[in-house]
Amino acid sequence: MFSTLRVLVQIAFRNLFASRLKTAIVGGIVFFGALLVTVGGSLLGSVTGGMARSITGTLAGDVQVYGASSKDDLAIFGGFGDQNLAQIDSFETLKAVVEKVPNVARVVPMGISGALVTSGNTIDLVLEKLRNAVRKETQGDRSPALLAEIEAQKEHVRQMVQVLEGEQKNLVALVDATKLTQEDRDNAMALARAASPQFWADFDRDPLNALEFLENKIAPQSTDADMLMLRYVGTDLSAFGRSFDRFRIVDGKPVPPGKRGFLFAKYFYEDRIKLRTARRLDKIREALSVKGQTIASDPDLQRMVHENERQTREILLQLDPTSTRNMTKLLRDELGSKETDLGRLLASFFAMDDASFERRYHFFYDRLAPMLELYRIRVGDTLTIKAFTKTGYSRSINLKVYGTFEFQGLEKSPLAGSVNLMDLVSFRDLYGFLTPDNQKEVARIEQAAGERAIDRAHADDELFGGDSKADAAQAPPAPPPMPKEAMPAVSAPLEKLHRDDRAARDYDPAELEKGVVLDAAVVLRDHSKVDQAIRDIGAATKRAGLDVKAVSWQDAAGIIGKLVMTFRLVLYLAFLVIFLVALVIINNALVMATLERVREIGTLRAVGAQKTFVLGMLVVEAATLGGVFGGLGAGVGALVVALLGAQGIPATSDVMNFFFSGPRLYPSLAPATVALAIAIVLVVATLSSFYPAWLAMRVSPREAMASDE
Amino acid sequence: MSAIVSVRGAVKEYALGAVKVQALRGVDLEVGEGEFLSIAGPSGSGKTTLLNLIGCVDTATSGVVQVAGKDTASLSERQLTELRLNTIGFIFQSFNLVSVLSVLQNVELPLLLQRRFSGKERHDRVLDLLGRVGLADHAKHRPSELSGGQRQRVAIARALVTRPQIVLADEPTANLDSVTGENILALMRELNRTERTTFIFSTHDAKVMAHASAVVRIADGRVLGREAPAAAQAEGH
Repeated sequence: MFSTLRVLVQIAFRNLFASRLKTAIVGGIVFFGALLVTVGGSLLGSVTGGMARSITGTLAGDVQVYGASSKDDLAIFGGFGDQNLAQIDSFETLKAVVEKVPNVARVVPMGISGALVTSGNTIDLVLEKLRNAVRKETQGDRSPALLAEIEAQKEHVRQMVQVLEGEQKNLVALVDATKLTQEDRDNAMALARAASPQFWADFDRDPLNALEFLENKIAPQSTDADMLMLRYVGTDLSAFGRSFDRFRIVDGKPVPPGKRGFLFAKYFYEDRIKLRTARRLDKIREALSVKGQTIASDPDLQRMVHENERQTREILLQLDPTSTRNMTKLLRDELGSKETDLGRLLASFFAMDDASFERRYHFFYDRLAPMLELYRIRVGDTLTIKAFTKTGYSRSINLKVYGTFEFQGLEKSPLAGSVNLMDLVSFRDLYGFLTPDNQKEVARIEQAAGERAIDRAHADDELFGGDSKADAAQAPPAPPPMPKEAMPAVSAPLEKLHRDDRAARDYDPAELEKGVVLDAAVVLRDHSKVDQAIRDIGAATKRAGLDVKAVSWQDAAGIIGKLVMTFRLVLYLAFLVIFLVALVIINNALVMATLERVREIGTLRAVGAQKTFVLGMLVVEAATLGGVFGGLGAGVGALVVALLGAQGIPATSDVMNFFFSGPRLYPSLAPATVALAIAIVLVVATLSSFYPAWLAMRVSPREAMASDE
Repeated sequence: MSAIVSVRGAVKEYALGAVKVQALRGVDLEVGEGEFLSIAGPSGSGKTTLLNLIGCVDTATSGVVQVAGKDTASLSERQLTELRLNTIGFIFQSFNLVSVLSVLQNVELPLLLQRRFSGKERHDRVLDLLGRVGLADHAKHRPSELSGGQRQRVAIARALVTRPQIVLADEPTANLDSVTGENILALMRELNRTERTTFIFSTHDAKVMAHASAVVRIADGRVLGREAPAAAQAEGH
């Protein structure tokens, strides 16, 4: 048997180049097939690895533990909207159990949620400043500085009114007068009144009344207020920083232990908080300098330039009269223009092309930006986050923005940069965790609804209060005393006071450990043994009687995690189709080659080769062809991967940064992939030789004889 | 002189569409060991069919064909193949060398199939035979690099390398010019004498027949008679 095989292989090798056509077709297909599998497999492996690093190194950790009775699956990078997760009542207990599992390095408490944040429009902000100054004045402050400030703010508001009125007039000019709604007419009338000299002459007589008019009738007309969808993770911020070594603070400073605070993801901060005009300039500059695109040829860049030309209001509204004059002069000089309207000057300034861009970009940042607020929310500001709690009531909290952070290598990834951070205690407040007692109380209150006059908006506070029962029960070092909201209906100012007080309140770091969490990120010592760790953690928590489940980072990452699977599936499907086609083509080529060899096969049969020998010969020949060219293809593929690995594949879009886990992907060769590539082409080549081999087997030895019959 | 091939009343019918064609209509033939027998006849007379039966690449519709003492009708396909491999050597009209194999590899092929000999033994035997057909210097050549006569010498070497009892040659000189044909016949005759191998070859060329020890004339699927050619008689056979 063995000697037959040896003879077969010997003859197969000798016949390797018997038919050039066969060799060209079969060899070519097999070569490229093996190349494809090697390169594709290695790239996929590297992307999977890159994503694994992106996901495990940023938020997820290697393993996520969350409530087993959760209605939804945990999806850390998943879509917006809250997932319905069962809470884990005591992180401390969970941590103690999980930390005992041998491979576990760290356990970080977490909760993931989202909220809408209204950043407030520019007019609101200026009016608030004006109101504060006026209030001081009415309280008796008559200092020249304050009076000057009031005048400056008034001028700024007048200017804003002018900007809005100009827009209103444009609108009226554009739209058929009959199509204007009553609201449009009311708005126009309010603007006319606010723009009139009479209004401002009367302002000082009754400033509070005038302010109310401006706040109610004018401010809403400026639609630059933005609802921000804020996705955030509440965690033990110090433990988070220690556990995810890619984490680093960019602006500002970390939230000190025991302090409540908020950290913006740098990407989110730049993308959503920054002055849009400036953000677009940044993007254009990156496209020009890094990606080598040109405004002239790229429609996307042209769109951004046009948007900058048209959307100057965001800048105009920010400027008080002095700044307006200064900016007008700067731009007139820069542009050599006699134009006096700042809006038009800005529009022509932002009409940049490839030649003027670099100069104007620097001019914007060096000369114009100092007069502007580049970020709607600055580091050091207080952010009001309003969220709906699990009981369905809204809850708001003021948090100081301590800074921004990013994950090293993923600076440009929107996915890694979409999730912001806050301290866990504030997260718990916003999320409205329920203890069993609370749950009973909710039921009781709901039953008694109507009997007690509870302002729905504050029912949550009724339930939990500033120092809710949950807090009181679980945080022994009692927080500083809070004004207990005993009043059935809390007035707005009081609620604001309550918010501010909450923001100022510190907490004992131990509180982090004791309380409720939604999930916990587990960082392993050996990242390759995730499955084992999941089994161990599952077993340990089960023994401890905890109602939790452990899932891998892939499962926890939601859609993103499933993307890895999808990539794999798509690639394998593509391979399957390609190789099915290859099978057919190779089969055809081998049938043709066999028909050309009928006389040779007949001769072999005549001189004493058995049918099985002929069958084996053809199969071994095809397999040899597959092996030789498959090996070559895999070799060249390995070379390509090595080359790519040395050069790196640049991430051409921001999203790709996440998949590549950095600006470039350096693919590395997986030996298993090479083996797989060769194995696949061997199988395909062998399978496709079965039919032609069967045909060859049936060739009669008579074919060898020159037939003169 | 005992018979190594014995054909009695062999009939071979082919179905040619709906029509049955009788290629052999009852042939009797005895071939003694060591003969150098020529089967002569015009095209379509049944020469090749008869050789196919003797060469065990085909079976008779009726009648008996005994080769080396074995009734071919009683043998399985596998056993017939074994018989061809070990007992019969073939020389074809168009040489039928495997083009991708070298001269040495072509000659070695039957030995590889026999799986009886080591590489060294095979090599020695192949070179020995190539020496005898005068191609010792051409062992590494490809068939395409050889002339027609040289190719047929390679085929002769391949037919004899297993030391078969019978060598069958179907029109071995038909594709060669007359001088080369003469030389090939002379070589076959010489090997017939030195190796004591029985040669049966078909031809319709009178000059070729002249080399034979006996000529069996065949026409329309029947044996007309057996005669000793003049040349053979002159040699005193």
